[in-house]
Amino acid sequence: MSGLTGTMWIALNALQAQQAGSQTTANNIANLNTPGYSRERPILVEADPFVQGNIVYGGGVSLEGIQSLRNSLLDLQISEETQQQGSAQAFVSAMNQVQTLFPDDTTGIGQQISAFFQSLNTLSTDPSNLTLRQGVLASAQNMATTFNNTAKQLTYVRQQLDSSVQQQVEQINQISQQIATVNSKLASVSSTGQEYGSFLDQRSELIQQLSGLVDVSQVNDGISLTVTTKKGVPLVVDGQAYNLAAVLGTDGVQHVYSAQDQDITGDISGGQLGGTLQVRDQTVPALQNQLDSLAGGMVTALNTAHQRGTDLYGNAGGDLFLPVTGTGAAVNMAVAFTDPKLIAASSDGSSGSNGNLANLSAVANQAVSSGMTPSAAYGNMVFQVGTAISNGTTEQSASTAMLQQLQQQQSSVSGVSLDEEASNLLLYQRAYQAAAQVIVTINQMLQTAINMGASG
Amino acid sequence: MRISPQISQMVLSALQTSDTAEQKALLQLTTGRRVNSASDDAAAAAQEVNISSQMNNCDQYLRSISSIYSEMQTADSSLNSAVTALQAAINLGVAGANGTLSQQNRITLAQQVRNVSQQVLGVANLSYNGTYVFAGTADSQPPYVADNSVPGGVRYQGNDGVNSVEIEEGQSVAVNQPGSQLFSANGASVFVALNDLATKLEDPNSSTDDIGSAVTELRGAFNQLTSARTFYGSSIDQLLGTQNFLNNKNVQLGQQQNSTVGVDMNVAATNLTNAEQARNATVQAAASLSSVTLMDYLSSIGH
Repeated sequence: MSGLTGTMWIALNALQAQQAGSQTTANNIANLNTPGYSRERPILVEADPFVQGNIVYGGGVSLEGIQSLRNSLLDLQISEETQQQGSAQAFVSAMNQVQTLFPDDTTGIGQQISAFFQSLNTLSTDPSNLTLRQGVLASAQNMATTFNNTAKQLTYVRQQLDSSVQQQVEQINQISQQIATVNSKLASVSSTGQEYGSFLDQRSELIQQLSGLVDVSQVNDGISLTVTTKKGVPLVVDGQAYNLAAVLGTDGVQHVYSAQDQDITGDISGGQLGGTLQVRDQTVPALQNQLDSLAGGMVTALNTAHQRGTDLYGNAGGDLFLPVTGTGAAVNMAVAFTDPKLIAASSDGSSGSNGNLANLSAVANQAVSSGMTPSAAYGNMVFQVGTAISNGTTEQSASTAMLQQLQQQQSSVSGVSLDEEASNLLLYQRAYQAAAQVIVTINQMLQTAINMGASG
Repeated sequence: MRISPQISQMVLSALQTSDTAEQKALLQLTTGRRVNSASDDAAAAAQEVNISSQMNNCDQYLRSISSIYSEMQTADSSLNSAVTALQAAINLGVAGANGTLSQQNRITLAQQVRNVSQQVLGVANLSYNGTYVFAGTADSQPPYVADNSVPGGVRYQGNDGVNSVEIEEGQSVAVNQPGSQLFSANGASVFVALNDLATKLEDPNSSTDDIGSAVTELRGAFNQLTSARTFYGSSIDQLLGTQNFLNNKNVQLGQQQNSTVGVDMNVAATNLTNAEQARNATVQAAASLSSVTLMDYLSSIGH
């Protein structure tokens, strides 16, 4: 089409195009602080030219659509890094609770162990003194109580982590469900050729949330999406979410089951769930074992030494502690009697002999747990807890820094800049005003042409 | 390259970093410790478990030393009075062996010798904090009791047991000398010798030689007591030496602990200042950055 009417059409299209431009600007500004939002821009192209004779006229502007600016490779990297960060974060926060149970200075098991051996040394200066004997029993009881409490607290930490597992599985299911819903909408919207950028934004944000909770891997062709765990357990396939289930196992803790009813507890490696499971199933049980081994080792060695002596009644010594070994030794550790005269301090049967106290004291330098003395075994636990946390913290800081960098990169592609939007707004406004001016002018020209006819 | 327009995350994370550093430096300054939880330095924390257990042990050994020290001092000074008394008894015997003395004079001397015997018996039955010091390990009853059926008229009912107390890792000291070594050693019993001397002095048929040989017997018992008594002197020396050593060790361990988990106050104070400065700078930068966009400029020129 050519002529004045054609020119009018070009100007009208221009009005539409600039309007679309200012609309995307408005949308960008509106979503300045929306998490996961990718900035949009209008795709403007030259309209097909038309030819009259051997002259080619430009056809004006055409609005092809609205484009969301995003980098899906960065999305994948962010998802990976979020999984690591979530895992490290859950690990460190759980272990920080554990750390308070293993102090290195004046409280805790280490201190109580050395206080017990000190009370034996005090008694050796006056072995028949009942007050000093009472002191030995009291410090033995304190030591046992500290073992009991530490073991109980470790169990308590595991229970707390266990309820976290339940909550996290619930959250995973919720988010999977949301992703499936977005997937369905996306499929129907894209099939009708409508703009679907905002659904991609929503979905990408949900996947990042999911990555914070569990290790995920995704197969994404732009529209259709399959999300699985790293080991391939499906969470979302297009519009279908597959719920995980937390089920109480025979070992007393929650196990995670896939929708196919497989126990996948041991396969989960990332996200908060991964970190939580690591502390619950590996780190804390390892500490519990060492604590039991230390308690059992000390009880056995001290009882053996105690039985070599004679008590104040002239009888051979019995057990100083209730004989406990293996699992539960720490939580069940207890002094076997309350009568201070039953302490078998004597090695020659006389009440004033302290010979057997040396045998009891010698346990302080005996290998009672994994080839270590009691104090060294406790020191080793402090070392392990400290190392685990400092490694976890390092990992957490590294993935946080990495994540931040990736998010900056993502933001440099997708983020909304007010400066940019302001200048775009100016451009669209000016272009709109110009196009409007063209219409007014063409209108006057048409008027002139019509008037020409009327006067002729 | 397009610069990321969203700086709020960066500002937030920079603030968190400087906050964390500030808290850490503050904690170090207030506690005086570089290692405030095991995760700050796991190896140092494990080492501290060992150091603090050694320091506690040092304190314990020092307490034990001071408790046995006073008991041994008491024993030693009591033995000293026994030695003086025996010395006097020997002099009485030497006087009694003089042929010019009347029988009445000898009986008076014999009486004095028997007094010495009572005095030594008191020392031998010395009790300290309810236990009998020279009874071996059978220390709940007096070691010596009167019994006319035995030579010397005094029977030892203690035993030969010796207690040892650990006063430093791997080092023990014996804390008692049984009466059987001091007063009633085989063939050198103080009580038998005193009784023999008194009996000879009382017997009008005794020759000066008889009395002289009783004095020799008493000298033998005296020598046994003085030599066995040196045990206390040398043990007390050992206690004092170890006490000195432990005090030094404690200081050394304290220094070791400080260098392991303590903080250099200058470093911590500098860290705190740096963290505060970093925080202030971030806050100022954030305040000036977020205030200017092109939007503001456009509206300010009334566009």
